[in-house]
Amino acid sequence: MLQENEKYDKVLYLLKKSKPLLDSSENIENEVIKRIKNIGHSDRMLNEVFDFLFGWIYIGWVRRCLIVASIALVLVFAYQQAIILRRIDYLSRQTIISGKENTNTHADEMEKMLVVLRNAGRRFPSNSITISEKQMKELLESVNELQLKYKDLENMIESDPELKKMIQKKLMENNRIKINL
Amino acid sequence: MIDIELIEECRGGNFNNFRKLVELTSPLAYSVAFRMLGNEDQAKDIVQETMVTIWQKLNKIKSAEGYKSWIYKIVVNKCYDEMRKRKRIPEFVTDELAWKLISNKISEGPSAALEDNETSMVIALLTDKLSPKQKAVFILSDLEEMSNDGISEITGLSKSTIKANLYHARKSISEKIEKYL
Repeated sequence: MLQENEKYDKVLYLLKKSKPLLDSSENIENEVIKRIKNIGHSDRMLNEVFDFLFGWIYIGWVRRCLIVASIALVLVFAYQQAIILRRIDYLSRQTIISGKENTNTHADEMEKMLVVLRNAGRRFPSNSITISEKQMKELLESVNELQLKYKDLENMIESDPELKKMIQKKLMENNRIKINL
Repeated sequence: MIDIELIEECRGGNFNNFRKLVELTSPLAYSVAFRMLGNEDQAKDIVQETMVTIWQKLNKIKSAEGYKSWIYKIVVNKCYDEMRKRKRIPEFVTDELAWKLISNKISEGPSAALEDNETSMVIALLTDKLSPKQKAVFILSDLEEMSNDGISEITGLSKSTIKANLYHARKSISEKIEKYL
């Protein structure tokens, strides 16, 4: 093991001692200077264009003004966002109201249907009615039609006093008969 | 001697000062590049590319010490790239001749030294089984005599990884020496 280390150390010593020497450093210097001059030229061109376009940002007062302007823009943006959010919130509430209205209209129809159904249902034993939507609609239409005809009849009676008297008389007679019964 | 004043003068765009910096830096870069690649022309190319990179990033250098480790960092990375490319083109190394040469040089005593081409042959022979990282750590630690902190800064490897790589590199080289010398 000792011998092995000794050999290793000797080889290492030999390699350390044999440091590679750069014989033509002047050639490398010239080549490097040539290359950086070319780079320098294109870089300078780019820098000139860049300075022409954006050089003004390095002026102190312009930079400060830009900072102020950017802060103002951020504030305006935040304010606008707040307004937009508030409007969205308001509009979303509006939608709910209109939805309610729709629901109410629908509910009115349904309520009407239920009233009709309830009235009709008195004549039938419970849990024995089966009625389709179409039939229900037809029923409602006929109820509406009947109401209109009833209103027409009322108007007709109101406009004719003799007819009104005669009807009242007839109704009273009817009531007497019911009481007698 | 590289000092920060010279670097600062170069920042002003003075080519003469930069020529001086190239003159001082090239031997350091060349030594590592040659030992890593074992090829004079490729090592010179690496030195040139390194110096061009330095010229482009002179503003980033903060101290002379930082500059030195930065050079090694650039060189080692460029050598890694070169070694990766080289994987596709396997090189033929005459082992017998190399071992004979090492044996002769060791027997010559401590005054013996290797020529550059002989150095490249011996390093290639000893490190052909090593990974690029192991090779870099071995060269920086045992041949360039750098500290683990310095190697860590250059290679970006942790100290424990450096120690592990160095252990494997030394072991592999020792085994070869034991076997063939």
